[in-house]
Amino acid sequence: MTVYAVERLRIFHGETPLVQDVGFAIARGECVALIGGSGSGKSLTCLTPFGLTPMRATGSARLIGEELIGRPERALAGIRARAAGFIFQQPLTALTPHLTIGAQLAEAWMQAGAPRPGRGELTAALARVGLDRPEERLHHHPHRLSGGQRQRVLIAMAIAHRPRLLVADEPTSALDAILRGEMMALLTRLRREEGLALLLVSHDLASVADHADRIVVLNQGRVEESGAAAQLLAAPASAYTRALLAATPRLDDPAPALPAPGETLLAARDVRVSFPRPGWRRGRAVAVENAALSIAEGEAVALVGGSGSGKSTLARAVARIGPADHGTVDWRGTPLPSRTRMTPLLRRLIQPVFQDPVASLDPRWQVADIVAEPLHHLRPELDAAARRDRVMRALGEVELDTGYADRRPNVLSGGQAQRVAIARAIVADPELLLLDEATSALDVLVAGRVLALLERLQRTRGLALLMISHDLAAARRLCHRILVMDDGRIVEEGPTERIIAAPAHPVTQRLVAAST
Amino acid sequence: MLRLIIRRLFTALPTLAAVILLSFLLMRIAPGGPFDGERPLDPATRAALERSYGLDKPLPEQAVLYVGRLARGDFGPSLVYRDFTVTDLVRQGLPVSLTLGALALLVALGLGLAAGLAAAAWPGRWPDALLMLAATLLTALPSFVTGPLLVLVFGLGMGWLPVSGWADGDPAHLVLPVIALALPVAGAVAKLSRAGLAGVLGQDHIRSARARGLSPARILIRHALRPALLPVASYLGPAAAGLLTGAVVIETVFALPGLGRYFVQGALNRDYPLVLGVVTLYAGLIILFNLFADLLYGWLDPRIRA
Repeated sequence: MTVYAVERLRIFHGETPLVQDVGFAIARGECVALIGGSGSGKSLTCLTPFGLTPMRATGSARLIGEELIGRPERALAGIRARAAGFIFQQPLTALTPHLTIGAQLAEAWMQAGAPRPGRGELTAALARVGLDRPEERLHHHPHRLSGGQRQRVLIAMAIAHRPRLLVADEPTSALDAILRGEMMALLTRLRREEGLALLLVSHDLASVADHADRIVVLNQGRVEESGAAAQLLAAPASAYTRALLAATPRLDDPAPALPAPGETLLAARDVRVSFPRPGWRRGRAVAVENAALSIAEGEAVALVGGSGSGKSTLARAVARIGPADHGTVDWRGTPLPSRTRMTPLLRRLIQPVFQDPVASLDPRWQVADIVAEPLHHLRPELDAAARRDRVMRALGEVELDTGYADRRPNVLSGGQAQRVAIARAIVADPELLLLDEATSALDVLVAGRVLALLERLQRTRGLALLMISHDLAAARRLCHRILVMDDGRIVEEGPTERIIAAPAHPVTQRLVAAST
Repeated sequence: MLRLIIRRLFTALPTLAAVILLSFLLMRIAPGGPFDGERPLDPATRAALERSYGLDKPLPEQAVLYVGRLARGDFGPSLVYRDFTVTDLVRQGLPVSLTLGALALLVALGLGLAAGLAAAAWPGRWPDALLMLAATLLTALPSFVTGPLLVLVFGLGMGWLPVSGWADGDPAHLVLPVIALALPVAGAVAKLSRAGLAGVLGQDHIRSARARGLSPARILIRHALRPALLPVASYLGPAAAGLLTGAVVIETVFALPGLGRYFVQGALNRDYPLVLGVVTLYAGLIILFNLFADLLYGWLDPRIRA
C-alpha cells in the first residue's frame, strides 16, 4: 500500500526552477533514499510539499491519498501533526533548550490529539530508541545530552504520534562514524516494527546502501537515476552515481603508497587540558589527560575518536592555539613556549584548517585578503606585490580559479571555501598542517576532491599533517599512523594498516566496524 | 542556586562600600554645606552645630564613623529636617516610591511584552511597524513630557483621573503617575522582546516545532518566548535604576510624597546623611535587582544553570 507518492514535482524559487520532474512512491514499511550532493535539491524535494521551505511547488505529492501541493499552511500543519514525522540534520539545535525532554516528548505525543501520556509511556518511548537511563532523562534539559542522545530523543519525538511517514533529512550527517551506523540501524528497526514509510535524504550513498529499498539519485534538481537499491549500487547506470560511489573512501580500497617520513618534527608529552565548568557550577572539567604524540617530517598522523573524545582539544593544545594546563611540546627538540608566548616565527610552523569552511572565513573580506592575512603577521618582511604573488601561487596550488581572488566568500561553494582556508593555511609555508575535521562538513564528492588535494600537498610540499577525524577510511588515505582517543585519553596507537587490520581497543573496533 | 545567591551577596558588599564612599566624598567635594543659608550663621553657632553633628572631625574619621553606624542600621539624623532621623524620612517615603516603581515595572513588562509578541507574530506587517514606531517614540519621550501630557488629556481634559497627590494610596491617584513612569520602559521592553523573538524564531528548534504542526501561537509562546526574553532580563537591572531615578521627576510632577522629593531636596540642602541614606538604599535595591535578573537568566535558559 502506497503511503506517500510524489509525481512530476517541480519546485520554484520565484520563477527559477530548482527541482524538476521528480517522482517516487513509498509503500508501508519501505525506505526510499534521496541521494545527491549539496545543491542537488534533495532537501527541497522532501520538505517543500509539507510547507517547510519558503519555495513554491507544483505537481503532486499525496500522503495517504491526501494531496499536499497547493494546500494552505493551516491544512499542511494539520497533516504534519497527524501523519508525518520529521528528523533534521543538526540534533544539537533541534530541541527547544528551555523545555525538559519529558515536556517536549509529551507535546509530540499529543500533537495528533492523543491523550496526555503517563510517565511510563514516555519512559518506554525513550527506552525504545535506545536512550540509556530514560526515566531520569525525562527531567533533563537538552543541553545535558550529547548529540547522539539528542538525535535519539528527536527520533522518539518524530514517531511518538504514530505517523505513517517519517522524513529524515540527513539524520546522521552531524554524527560521528560510530553513531551513524547505530542511528541507521535504529531507523531501520523502527520502520519495520511500525510499518513506517521512511523518506531518507543523504549525500552519502554508501551509508544508506544497506538500509534503503529504493534509491533516487538527484543531481542539480533532476533525477539522475532511480531504482532498487541493490541493483543501482551493483550496476549504476549514470556517471554521476558512479562518481558518488567512487568518492567514498572505503577500508577495502588498496592501501595507499605514502611518502616516507623523516626526522621527528613535533613531540608532545603529558598534555592535560581542562575547562571551567559552564554556568553556575564551580570546578573544572578535564578534557584531555596524560596525552603524548609525535609527528615526523612529512608524516601524517590521524587523531580519531567519537564526538567529545578530546581530539580537537588535544590537537589545538599541541599546536599552541588552544589552552593547556601543562605538558611539553618540543619542535625539532626545542620546547615550544606556551600559547600566549608563541612568536610569529613559531606560529608559521603550524597552521590550522577547520571543519566549517564558511564559518572560518570573514564574509566581509575579499578572498585574496583572507589568504594574505597570515603573511602580514608571519612574514612581515614581504611587500604588497610579493604578498599578492604568494597569494596567487597558493590559490593555484589549491586549484581555485584566481578570478575568485577579488570576490568575497559568499560566492564560494563549501568546497571552494575550504580550498581558500587551505590556501590561507599554506601561504606562509608551514611545516605542519592541523586538519580539524577538514572534510566532515563537505558532501562526498567535494570531500573526495579536497582529500585528493591534501594528498597532493602532502607529496609536493612534504607537509606533515595532524588530521582530526572520526572517519577511519578518510584518514587512511593520508595517514601513516593512527591515534585513537576516548574520553580524553589516547587509548590505542600504531601504524594505520595494523590498526585497521587488528584493532585492539573496543573503541577502535567500533570505529573500524563503522567504516566498513 | 542558594550558594550562588550567597556568593553574589558577598561580592555585592564591596560594591556597596564603594558607592557609599564615593558619594560620601562627592558630597563633601561639592561646595556649600548644610548650614549655609540666606543669612550667614555667626561662627560660634555654626561651630557648635558642626560639633554636635560631628562635622568638625577629620573627613576619614567621619567616614569611618558613618559606615560603622550604617552597619548597625543607623542612617543618622537629617541635618535639615531637624526633628526627623533619616530612617523616619525613608519610612515615610519608601513605601510610596516602591509602590510606584513596582507597579510601573509590572505595567511596563505587561505592555512591552504584549507589544513585542504582537509585533513578532506579524513580522514586517502593519502591527509590527506600528508597534515598533510607538515603542521608539515612547523610549525617546522623557517622563517629564509624557507626565504633564497625560495630566492634560486624562486629568484636566477628560476629567477621568485625579492629577496629583497620594491620598493614602488611593488607586485612582496612582494610575497616571504609574503610566507616565512605565511608558519609556515599556517601549524598551517591546523593542528588546521583538528583537529577541526575531532571533529565536530563525533557530532550528523552531523549525522542528513547525514540522510537528504546532500552532503559530503555541510556537511563539511555548518554544520561542523564554529564550527571547534574555535581553529583556539583562535590561531589568538598568530599568529598575531608571524607574527609581525617574520616580524623582514623576513624584514632583504628581506631588507624591515619595523618596525622590527627599533625595532632590537633600542634595540641594547638602543634607549629607539624608542623601547618603537614600543613595545607599537605591544602590542596595539595584544590586538586589541585578541578582534577581541573574536568577531569571537561569530560569529563561537552563544552559546557564548547567
